[in-house]
Amino acid sequence: MLEIKDLYVSYGMMEVLHGISVDVQDKELVSIIGPNGAGKTTLIKTVMGLVKPTSGQILYNGEDITNIPAYKRAGMGIGYVPEGRRVFGKLTVEENLQMGAYELKDKAQIAKNIEMVYGIFPRLGERAKQLASTMSGGEQQMLAIGRALMLNPQMLLIDEVSMGLMPIMVNTCFEVIKKLNDEGITVLVVEQNANKALKIADRGYVLETGNIVLSDTAENMRKDDTVQKAYLGG
Amino acid sequence: MFTQQLMNALAIGSVYALTAMGATLIYGILGILDIANAGAYLIGAYLGWYIYYATGSIVLAFVLSMVAVGVLGILIQKFIYSPILAKPNTLSIIPLVAAVGLFTMSSDLVRLICGPYSLSYNFDFGVTSIRIGSVVLVPAWILIFALTAVLLLILWFILNKTKLGLAWRATANDTEIAKVCGVNTSNAMALSYILGYGFAAAAGIMVGILYNSITPALGEVPSYKMLAIIVLGGLGNPLGTVLAGLIIGFTEVFLSAYTSIPIPKDAIAFVVLIIMLLVKPEGLLGQKNKV
Ligand SMILES: Nc1ncnc2c1ncn2[C@@H]1O[C@H](COP(=O)(O)OP(=O)(O)O)[C@@H](O)[C@H]1O
Ligand SMILES: [Mg+2]
Repeated sequence: MLEIKDLYVSYGMMEVLHGISVDVQDKELVSIIGPNGAGKTTLIKTVMGLVKPTSGQILYNGEDITNIPAYKRAGMGIGYVPEGRRVFGKLTVEENLQMGAYELKDKAQIAKNIEMVYGIFPRLGERAKQLASTMSGGEQQMLAIGRALMLNPQMLLIDEVSMGLMPIMVNTCFEVIKKLNDEGITVLVVEQNANKALKIADRGYVLETGNIVLSDTAENMRKDDTVQKAYLGG
Repeated sequence: MFTQQLMNALAIGSVYALTAMGATLIYGILGILDIANAGAYLIGAYLGWYIYYATGSIVLAFVLSMVAVGVLGILIQKFIYSPILAKPNTLSIIPLVAAVGLFTMSSDLVRLICGPYSLSYNFDFGVTSIRIGSVVLVPAWILIFALTAVLLLILWFILNKTKLGLAWRATANDTEIAKVCGVNTSNAMALSYILGYGFAAAAGIMVGILYNSITPALGEVPSYKMLAIIVLGGLGNPLGTVLAGLIIGFTEVFLSAYTSIPIPKDAIAFVVLIIMLLVKPEGLLGQKNKV
């Protein structure tokens, strides 16, 4: 479904991704783990079109999207949950969700999708008219996920969902992600929290300083000595 | 007398709010202080003057001048600010310097093309004053309130009740994420420029009518006073800008009318600003923590 081929990305003179290849199959849940600064966020942003690669290709459902501007990728079926949540703090919860459905013209459909999100996260429904900035970190994370679901995406890209959340919220978020995947949404998760990320995943990759150093099934990775030592605290 | 001052203060406050609104909309979305708005105000006033004398119509003077200056704004955004901001790691001083340059250039161009002398608007309202009981209203004031109110209502409606406005607010809040949501953010920026420069043009014509005189130096005082107003309003906050414009207008008019404080009228805005910033550093309606 998503195929990243030999991707090189630089910020100015500094190259941060040195030829990365990652693929995600239909209905899979894939986790990319790696330490802070490895280039995980950069990789996801490049898929979303927010960062331009110097070379390499991004294919989505077989179509080359490498050079499509970010705002034209919105309707393609990829939902994005950015690092640090990035909800629109000055907009209400409902307006945030409307932004998630910006590509939709049909008002009734938008209303229906908003209800669908409130069904998944009742907390958001209770706070529909509240400014997003006044909500707790966990609630903002729900909103960021909800916003990404507004276009009924085929695929979700989720960047560091556990960052800065209380443990109980972390569990809730991972449960929701797992459930969405079970319902048929393809998911690519990038995480420093390797433990959680590998627990729900089918397959995993390890990204270190801009290179993929390992890829395997999540099960094998959990058993792998080097992964255990470096990422699972074992 | 008091009512007279009140009306005068409202008129001046309205002009200030309108002048600074452009800079607010642009700061809100691009994060740059576009002093060149004062150039839009100047050019708007002159264009309005020429259109009025060519057509004899106040309405046409406002409409055509606003549209022309609004389009000029889009061109400046597309060909000057966008390329500057598109460069990686642009220092925030660079667009500011560009703005100062644009403003200076606009003043000098107007001086060259239209002459260094002042022009009189002499808008003919048909009546010189309207008397309601003991209150004497100057027609120019009524025109200014009414037009400012209409323009601000239109702005409010666009920003709060339309999809375009939602996209604008989202872009101002987080440009990257707005893009990912599907917003063509350079259109949202163009909206800031067409409205912002258009409003500045209207404010320029209003001032021309109010003081019955325009000169190529018309934009100088607004170029810096505008900064005081947008900072006072909480940088990038449209409602705050309206409040701040009115506060500065009122303070100026009433302090000069009823006291003999020995500070120049145009310095009052900054005195108010300094006091305000000591009390509430984020401005009237600014947010402490941007999210
Ligand atoms: N906007 C940027 N400009 C310059 N360097 C950046 C930028 N964003 C990230 N980097 C650098 O790129 C590298 C990868 O960062 P990032 O993709 O955020 O990693 P991760 O998400 O794995 O923590 C880091 O060295 C970081 O400092
Ligand atoms: Mg990251």
